[in-house]
Amino acid sequence: MIHMRNISKIYDDNGTIALDHVNIDIEKGEFVFLVGPSGAGKSTFIKMLLREELPSSGELIVNGHDVVHMVRHDVPYLRRGLGVVFQDYRLLPDKTVYENVAFAMQVIEAPRRLIQRSVNSVLDVVGLREKYRCFPSQLSGGEQQRVAIARAIVNSPALVIADEPTGNLDPDTSWDIMDIFQRINKSGTTIIMATHDKTIVDRMKKRVIAIEDGHVVRDEAKGVYGYAV
Amino acid sequence: MRFDTIEYFVQEVFRSLKRNNWMTFASIGTVAVSLFVLGVFLILVLNVNRMASMLESQVQISVYLQEDIKQVDRVGIGQDIEKMQGIESVKYVSRDEAKKRLAERLGDQKYLLDALGDKNPLPESYEVTVKSPDMVETAAAAISKMDGVEEAKYGQDVVQHLFDITRLMRIFGLALMVLLAGATLFIISNTIRLTVFARRREIAIMKYVGATDWFIRWPFMLEGIVMGFIGGIIAAVALRSFYAAMAAKIYDTLAFFPLMPQYPFMNYITVALLLAGMVIGAIGSTISLKRFLEV
Ligand SMILES: Nc1ncnc2c1ncn2[C@@H]1O[C@H](COP(=O)(O)OP(=O)(O)O)[C@@H](O)[C@H]1O
Ligand SMILES: [Mg+2]
Repeated sequence: MIHMRNISKIYDDNGTIALDHVNIDIEKGEFVFLVGPSGAGKSTFIKMLLREELPSSGELIVNGHDVVHMVRHDVPYLRRGLGVVFQDYRLLPDKTVYENVAFAMQVIEAPRRLIQRSVNSVLDVVGLREKYRCFPSQLSGGEQQRVAIARAIVNSPALVIADEPTGNLDPDTSWDIMDIFQRINKSGTTIIMATHDKTIVDRMKKRVIAIEDGHVVRDEAKGVYGYAV
Repeated sequence: MRFDTIEYFVQEVFRSLKRNNWMTFASIGTVAVSLFVLGVFLILVLNVNRMASMLESQVQISVYLQEDIKQVDRVGIGQDIEKMQGIESVKYVSRDEAKKRLAERLGDQKYLLDALGDKNPLPESYEVTVKSPDMVETAAAAISKMDGVEEAKYGQDVVQHLFDITRLMRIFGLALMVLLAGATLFIISNTIRLTVFARRREIAIMKYVGATDWFIRWPFMLEGIVMGFIGGIIAAVALRSFYAAMAAKIYDTLAFFPLMPQYPFMNYITVALLLAGMVIGAIGSTISLKRFLEV
């Protein structure tokens, strides 16, 4: 699913080496935690998968797309195979729950009938079918993040990427979110999640990749968070 | 493109036209004023141009003969001219005929001629017309070198003047056009930039879920095009009444003035203005989108 060889990322503007010769392979169906201190390079890692940032050197294949040599024109098609969730939800405040999710299908010109069916089904997955007419401001943080997850999976991506999705949520709510991720993963979707949440990582017993200062310092199959909180 | 997509684009355009209503208003106003001024220039240039070519096509060469010329030589000159390339007709004007014409032209002031008594200072001449206007100059030059010809004159001054005027107007008009187009582009792209800014979150999400650049670009392009189009309509309507009023005035006072007839001339101008407005709108929005789409 992801094949990363000697990937380095140096930000041109300030010369920061955010990733330094990283080698990682992630298979289809895996659930991977990306851990490490602040500024380690986790978000940079994720941005490269989405081709929001271009690697400075190395090879990167994501879901069958050669990200390094990809032309601009093909970027949207890479992203259609990926779902992405952020710490700050990034919902559109003037659209309802339903519209926020449907938006992700509208803008890739999915047929209207398919949109209706898919949106209803993913709202079931995240348990927000009843609140489809609410606006984000009428929802709790956890509910908003569930809408964001629904939006990320509505186009049936092969890979869901989440950058600290529980960063703004209390522990109980975080578990609800992890529960959803786990169910999505069980249906065969690969999940990569950058997180600071020790409890979650330790309890889930999934693969853990630890990054420090741009280097992969640890990669364990049933790992733990490994940092003092 | 899907019908749903078109519906979505149209909704987006009207939403943002409403959202930025002051800037929208200012943009449309600027487009309208700029296009109106451009239109006025276009009309002026085209009319003066037309007048110049009409005069030019009527150009005759007046060939004045030397005073002491013999009749044989005079006839010979006439034949020589007729044999030249590109000559349409040659007409002899006697001294009496010339005096009669002068008298006619003087009208009320004919008494000036009376002072001459029986004397006639006017020379004999030929009126030569050529087949095409661009031959006038060479023909006149050749004729004036002939023996027995005093001088060969044509309305070069007037025509030359008119052409000089149109050339100036064209240059000036072009400069003005560039300036106005620049100002219009500036204000349209700023309006679109506001829209882009207002919708930056939406655009970021669109990019994350894999919308193509063109899908993202279209609503903004359409917004620019719609503003340009509305500005064009306003300019065209104003210009049409302006031209109608001007035409009425000119027909009243200067009936002979060869003004372009309103139809279909003004229809072409209208189409030109609408197209110009839409093109400017599209370019304006492209400018403001270029930087931010490169993510
Ligand atoms: N757009 C950017 N321009 C320059 N430097 C950046 C940029 N984004 C991140 N960095 C730097 O790269 C390093 C890694 O950042 P990031 O990937 O955000 O780390 P993390 O997500 O693990 O906290 C940091 O030193 C950060 O300051
Ligand atoms: Mg980060």
